[in-house]
Amino acid sequence: MSYFSNISSAITTLVDGMKVTMGYFVRPREHVTLQYPDEVWPIPTRNIGVGEIESYNTIRSKLVVDFEDCIGCKACERACPVDCIHIETFKAGPDEDIGTTKNDTKIKLRVTSFIIDMSECMFCDLCTPPCPEDCIRMTPDYQFISNDNVKLAVTPEERWRDRDHLIYEFSKVSPIERAQRQADAEKVAAAKAAAMEAKKAAAEKAAAAKAEQEAREAEKARAEAATATDSEAPPSPFISETPVDSAEPTPINIPTMESAPEPEPMDRIEVPMETIKTPEIPEVKPVSTETTAEPETSSEPDSSSEPENSSKGETENG
Amino acid sequence: MIQLLANWILSFDILSGMGISVAWGLSLFIVAALIFVFVAANAIVLVYIERKVSAFMQVRLGPMRVGKFGTLQTVADALKLLQKEDIIPRSADKVLFIIGPWVILVASVVTFAAIPFSDTLLAANMNIGLFYIVSISSIVVLGIVMAGWASNNKWSLYGAMRSAAQIISYEIPVGITLIAVVAVVGSLNLQTIIQEQAGTGNLFHWIPIPLPNWFIFHSPFLFVAAFVYLIGATAEINRTPFDIPESESELVAGFMTEFSGLRWALFFLSEYANATLVAFLVSIVFLGGWQSPFADYEGTQIGFSIITLVAIMWTLFVRAKTGRLSVYPLGLSLVITIAAWLFPGFAIWMASPGIFWMLMKAGGIIFMLMWFRWTFPRLRVDQLMYVSWKVILPLSLINLMGVAIWMWLTGEIQF
Repeated sequence: MSYFSNISSAITTLVDGMKVTMGYFVRPREHVTLQYPDEVWPIPTRNIGVGEIESYNTIRSKLVVDFEDCIGCKACERACPVDCIHIETFKAGPDEDIGTTKNDTKIKLRVTSFIIDMSECMFCDLCTPPCPEDCIRMTPDYQFISNDNVKLAVTPEERWRDRDHLIYEFSKVSPIERAQRQADAEKVAAAKAAAMEAKKAAAEKAAAAKAEQEAREAEKARAEAATATDSEAPPSPFISETPVDSAEPTPINIPTMESAPEPEPMDRIEVPMETIKTPEIPEVKPVSTETTAEPETSSEPDSSSEPENSSKGETENG
Repeated sequence: MIQLLANWILSFDILSGMGISVAWGLSLFIVAALIFVFVAANAIVLVYIERKVSAFMQVRLGPMRVGKFGTLQTVADALKLLQKEDIIPRSADKVLFIIGPWVILVASVVTFAAIPFSDTLLAANMNIGLFYIVSISSIVVLGIVMAGWASNNKWSLYGAMRSAAQIISYEIPVGITLIAVVAVVGSLNLQTIIQEQAGTGNLFHWIPIPLPNWFIFHSPFLFVAAFVYLIGATAEINRTPFDIPESESELVAGFMTEFSGLRWALFFLSEYANATLVAFLVSIVFLGGWQSPFADYEGTQIGFSIITLVAIMWTLFVRAKTGRLSVYPLGLSLVITIAAWLFPGFAIWMASPGIFWMLMKAGGIIFMLMWFRWTFPRLRVDQLMYVSWKVILPLSLINLMGVAIWMWLTGEIQF
């Protein structure tokens, strides 16, 4: 009898199984799989702690620079703890008019390169408060994928270059103009250096002449002293100093430059030293933000850049 | 159909110069090409449907990216397969390795020559059509053994051996089940078998439920025989739950392990061609082939009204059980019913036999095969043999005897 009960149990269990799969087959599939590029999870809208400023009440992700408003002060570059912002500026000529920012600040520096390496960015948001023009900000656009510059990484160097699509260039200065600026700046620097060298040479000559004079005077004095009295020997330090040092000592900068690299850990300490050294811009900043904070907060969401708008639209659709 | 095509070709003035034999050969070639195109297109469509059905049964979405709802996914896959490198293992038996897939493909495509898609649309009206299909489709196992042996791979060989054992085992119950139907009709001609199933009658001859005269409703024995045939045919075409020749978890891909690119695509093509063949055969032998389930246009109206009532009950049942409102079956049946009542032409068209009904029935059977595949776990080898020799074979023998007794009881035959 187990033969027939076996068959009947086989039939009933098979029918049960078919019922289950048919139940899933006819079930509506609404929240099954997120079709990623077409549908995106909504970005959380909770407050992350910077309550006063409306645009910060979302997640912070991709950094965006409104390049028209950048004055090239490098405050963000200095503030960055991981050095992911690289800015290159050249001074504008006296008759050049670069324009003004939205705060009516005159731009005095030509920013030829404004690179943010998003592969190094740690999204700490420390670069945005120092900006006097509020032109660098974090957007909720968290999708960094792109088709540009995606290469097959084989060697370590190529693997490094594989992140090229994460390096964002915000400067709108053309490379030709940038090269020209660089050449100009080099020319100016060369001219300056030549002038400096000429000055230096002149100073050296003068110093040498002076030293010679001094040496002569000293010799004269020594001779006089020797002839006058043997017991008078107080200018003994003079003797040691004068002939040896006075021949080469005029470049005052060189000894400091040489002495600086000697302690090795100084290299690392130098970066914070610089940031501490320049408290001028942070002092200026609060004034400008205070004066322009109110109009900006109202205008920013409207004039926010494309990625923010597009991501918002996607979330609404999804 | 070939005769008609040849006559049609000769009816043109330009082409009438060629002899009757040339026209005959040309039409043969055209029909063969048409069948092959049907098989290839059928495989592409069925792979897409299978992936969708499996996805829906597993609470997924399936292919969605290529084309709208992923409709072009299988076309893209086919193009990819055509471009792939053709790899032949160094130690393989090259001749058998190359001809193995083609033997399988030819054996499964050639069987379509005898399938009647409608009363006129068939390649060859043979008086031994059923016997031809059963015998030719069993050549597939030869190709499988060739492919498995030539691969020189233990998985392939195991797969081929299992396939041979399985197909030979299941040929017997399948054949005996078909003999039961042949005993009712008295002919091996598929057209005759279909024409025997015309009209409507009582369920099982005596129970007064008006149903079409299909052989599945002929007698309780043939009702069981239909399911026995479906099970045996599922095993014969190596589909889950009888897919031990290519069981992925044991044998990688069975006899297909060493095949790649176009040759592998040929296996796939023949697999779906075989599934379609089984679906056609079930619908021909047990479900009336191209016969309409409705006798006349009043029957169409009443039949669709009954279907709508069932759909309403189904909707209420689903609503009570899950709280969801599934409107698609109800809406579809309502639309068809209203159309049948309003437009007599539509009702008459629905009541007339044709390729539409053939494809509908075959589609239903193919869906059932997919349903089996994505529901049942695979059988063990010894369980497979147990089912074949100890369950299905006795059942088919009992069916054969029972059908004979039934026909004597109902007076269809006299001694």
